[in-house]
Amino acid sequence: MLVLGIETSTPQSSVCLATEHGLVASATLGRGRAHGEFLTPAIAFCLQHAHTDIAAVSGVAVSLGPGLFTGMRVGIATAQTLAHARRLPVVGLASLDLLAYPVRHVRRLVCSVLDARRGELFWSFYRAAPGGVQRVTEFRVGPAGKLAGEIEAVPDGVLCIGDGAVAHRALLESTGAEVGSAASAFPLAQSLVELALPRFIREDTQRPEDLLPVYIRKADAKIGWRNRGALYGGTSGAGPRAAPTRT
Amino acid sequence: MLVLGIETSCDETAVALVEDGVRVRSNVIGSQVEHHRPYGGVVPEIAARAHLELLLPALDRALVEGGCTYADVDAVAVTTGPGLVGALLVGVAAAKSLALAHSLPLIGVNHLEGHVCAVQLEFGLLRPPLLALIVSGGHTSLVLVDETGRMSTIGATIDDAAGEAFDKVARFLGLPYPGGPEIDRLAREGSADAIRFPRALLDGTYDFSLSGLKTAVVRELRRREAAGEEIHLADVAASFQEAVVDVAVRKTMAAVARHGVEQVTMVGGVAANSRLRERMAASCAEAGARLLMPSPALCTDNGAMIAAAGWNRLAGGERTAYDAVADPNLPLAGLVVRASGEPPS
Ligand SMILES: [Zn+2]
Repeated sequence: MLVLGIETSTPQSSVCLATEHGLVASATLGRGRAHGEFLTPAIAFCLQHAHTDIAAVSGVAVSLGPGLFTGMRVGIATAQTLAHARRLPVVGLASLDLLAYPVRHVRRLVCSVLDARRGELFWSFYRAAPGGVQRVTEFRVGPAGKLAGEIEAVPDGVLCIGDGAVAHRALLESTGAEVGSAASAFPLAQSLVELALPRFIREDTQRPEDLLPVYIRKADAKIGWRNRGALYGGTSGAGPRAAPTRT
Repeated sequence: MLVLGIETSCDETAVALVEDGVRVRSNVIGSQVEHHRPYGGVVPEIAARAHLELLLPALDRALVEGGCTYADVDAVAVTTGPGLVGALLVGVAAAKSLALAHSLPLIGVNHLEGHVCAVQLEFGLLRPPLLALIVSGGHTSLVLVDETGRMSTIGATIDDAAGEAFDKVARFLGLPYPGGPEIDRLAREGSADAIRFPRALLDGTYDFSLSGLKTAVVRELRRREAAGEEIHLADVAASFQEAVVDVAVRKTMAAVARHGVEQVTMVGGVAANSRLRERMAASCAEAGARLLMPSPALCTDNGAMIAAAGWNRLAGGERTAYDAVADPNLPLAGLVVRASGEPPS
């Protein structure tokens, strides 16, 4: 079966097509936050160069975050409308789980750490398990100091991966943790599809409308007054007209 | 040609199906008012979250009520701006995905252009020239559609939108959100001449400024409170409303005279205000202009107006690429409205 995977919850966006026999096509954008610009053309690119058609896709897997709110929403909105329109089953998985998956052969505890902005991180801990990794904690959000405290409490050392870990390398290494490289700092669509495929095969899937982002953080309840006057033709507080926001 | 229109620029998750740019097959609006009520205004992050939850149910309902399936849809139209960027992105992503799923043409539409095109859903294709006053919680704009069908913004608020001024004053008066209907209702029990609030007329432009009026209301109430004077909230509401209506009507009629247009349309949530409707109708009648006011469901943000505007552009051969971005400041410029009489291609 051909599965489409969509991961746009971090500054790196990736899309792939894969079957139980392996990867068919993939596209990754490593820079910036242009999820909305990249995603649909990337899916079309993968389909085209794999000489296949959207009608051949039999399931859609998507990363639910945590991560960048707008990126998560672009990915989920794309996945769920595609699935709705083609009547396809979906599987949603957490970004932190995907991040830990490629290092599943490590014996130590693995900590997936993603940048949560505003001086905070998202993280959770994993242990190797048959066929993948097993999450052993809840998803957490907090400052790097809090994460360092949790790592210090682990007796056998921890491997930390993700852009959040790379950004706080010195602090985390001072607790005795090993920090992964910048090259493997983001969750991949390939991991997503590898993890989702068994679920599609055993029909352990979701309905598109049941896909919900993993926000962890509550919505920032600031009213957009200032923005809105400016957005719709006014000039209050906006200064010169801003370039289109790419998120 | 059946166009599916998606609108998520602010706090309504709207999907509609429109045939040939004029016939509404379905018009589904998922309101988020309850989500924003506790805050007394639209919260951008809450709006973006709600759009994602409300969009699939809205798509489903629009298809069911329109009596069709995706196989019957010929094109997808979506608002790409202006608006709240996080909110716009949900609709734009969904529209692209639908277009990809069924190999349909995609067309991005300006939200204000959509408001103007709502007129064609009730009165048939536009016959420019036409002047449009768009008044809502998000915008206060005067848009001129010239005889060739080109749209341009000739005036806009330089600070608060009209609906925003209503919401802020209502909040200050202790009235629930949204404030527009509350002030409208309360004003009927008060006197519009009780307090003379300032009108910022910004001579020589068609621009609006409403934040000074809001400040004047606050200052006047505080002054009366300090002086121990009795305050009749109904008088305050009526006097404030009269000032907003006064500015809106005067600006509109000045533009009607200056550009010699004989058709005026008024759209947006604030266009439902009873005093504004009454005074605009009287002024237009006096000036010999025809006032085209769509019914409330087409006046406020909806997907049908986006489908209508999208059809106009599609009929002109326009298409939007899959890498199109949402632009929170998308300007209204160089647009061509499809005028009546031209057969759709
Ligand atoms: Zn609007």
